Amino acid sequence: MTVKVGDELPTFTRETGFANWNRYAAVNDEFVPIHMDDAAGEAAGNGGAFGMGNLQWAYLHNMLRSWVGENGEILSIEVQFRSPNVKGQTVTAKGVVTAVDGDVISLDVWTEQQEGVKLAPGSAKVKLGK
Amino acid sequence: MRIGDELTPFTRRTDLENFNRYAAVNDEFLAHSMDDEAARDEGFPQAFGMGNLQWSYLHSFLRQSVGPDGRILQLDVQFRNPNLRGQTLIAKGKVIAIDDGVAQIELWTESADGSRLAIGSARVVAHS
Amino acid sequence: MMASLPFRQQEFQEEQMTQTYLTDVVRNAVGTECSRTVSYPIEASAIRRWALAVYWPEPAPQVFMDAEYAPEDFDPFAWGPASYESLLEGDDGSVVVRHGINERALGFPEWKFRAGLNGGMNCTYGVRMHVGDVITDVKSVGEYTERQGRNGLMLITQSISTWTNQQGELVKRTVNAGIRY
Repeated sequence: MTVKVGDELPTFTRETGFANWNRYAAVNDEFVPIHMDDAAGEAAGNGGAFGMGNLQWAYLHNMLRSWVGENGEILSIEVQFRSPNVKGQTVTAKGVVTAVDGDVISLDVWTEQQEGVKLAPGSAKVKLGK
Repeated sequence: MRIGDELTPFTRRTDLENFNRYAAVNDEFLAHSMDDEAARDEGFPQAFGMGNLQWSYLHSFLRQSVGPDGRILQLDVQFRNPNLRGQTLIAKGKVIAIDDGVAQIELWTESADGSRLAIGSARVVAHS
Repeated sequence: MMASLPFRQQEFQEEQMTQTYLTDVVRNAVGTECSRTVSYPIEASAIRRWALAVYWPEPAPQVFMDAEYAPEDFDPFAWGPASYESLLEGDDGSVVVRHGINERALGFPEWKFRAGLNGGMNCTYGVRMHVGDVITDVKSVGEYTERQGRNGLMLITQSISTWTNQQGELVKRTVNAGIRY
């Protein structure tokens, strides 16, 4: 695959809600009231329960992993959680190539909801598999 | 065990934390156990726990009386009222017969106001 | 009170009130063996996690933390079986029914329900489950009955699970009751 600045990665999309959040809580032992209970989420100022940042972190990894292939590597990733993943959202993980330096590719990555509002912007460095 | 013995109750305050932890190990992610809105769509006032969790609590209840070397031989339970989130659930029972070392137990779960959620019976062999 | 329901729910309730679930194909299916499912070998961590979940927030008994044996209520099929085989003629088993029986493969009608509830369980135990055990579950059709309730006509069903271990010993036989409306 020839990669150039501006290339957009195939996206990774999930409709999110308790079904995903609780399954993630299950494997990460992350049973936190704000992610399970609307009253707790509302008290936290988000209108209701909302998903854990760690799950969006996982979705970004899923997107990158699919692009770099089995023999590729995710070298680094950093993300800030800006807007909550509340009930009823469809979350899409996206990425775009910002630099190519030998076999290290730099990307802007982010998750956004169905109206394009960014939930978790960040960046990553990867190597493609041979 | 003797006829008439009341077994030590087993108590848990139940809410989404319990339901979701059980869902985690049993892959039982039911909307009406996770979300008040989904429960209301089915005619319940709020999210409620899975019957399988009460089933497990009743096993835990029996196990504390029969001891690690005792045996639970048989358990029969009917679910009569939902375990609504926020309820304190108490498993209770008493020995109603003993036959050749096997104790027959009448058991149930109830909420803090005494309403019975699940009723049933069990046969156990205690080994203290 | 029917007039106070949203239109879609009212229509749904009226439709349910005129049906019977117990057609000949349903009545004649009682006793039919439907599937054979085999578990992965039981792992110690699965026993520990199960015990932690069902005893939370109190600690679990040490016998389970040491995985000396599994709690009787432990389900080694919880996160999927190692293999699934349909025992029904004409069913290739490509649709895996994890809980209960494959009603479609039995030729039952395509019912639509507002809700499904656990009605209860009746279980008789044999030998304990241990780490490394491979459990086989054969599911069969129990009784199907119906009755009118406050939510309309309710279908009450039984499915029967018979578990044996790799030595053919009975682990447990469970009758699961379901309520759908």
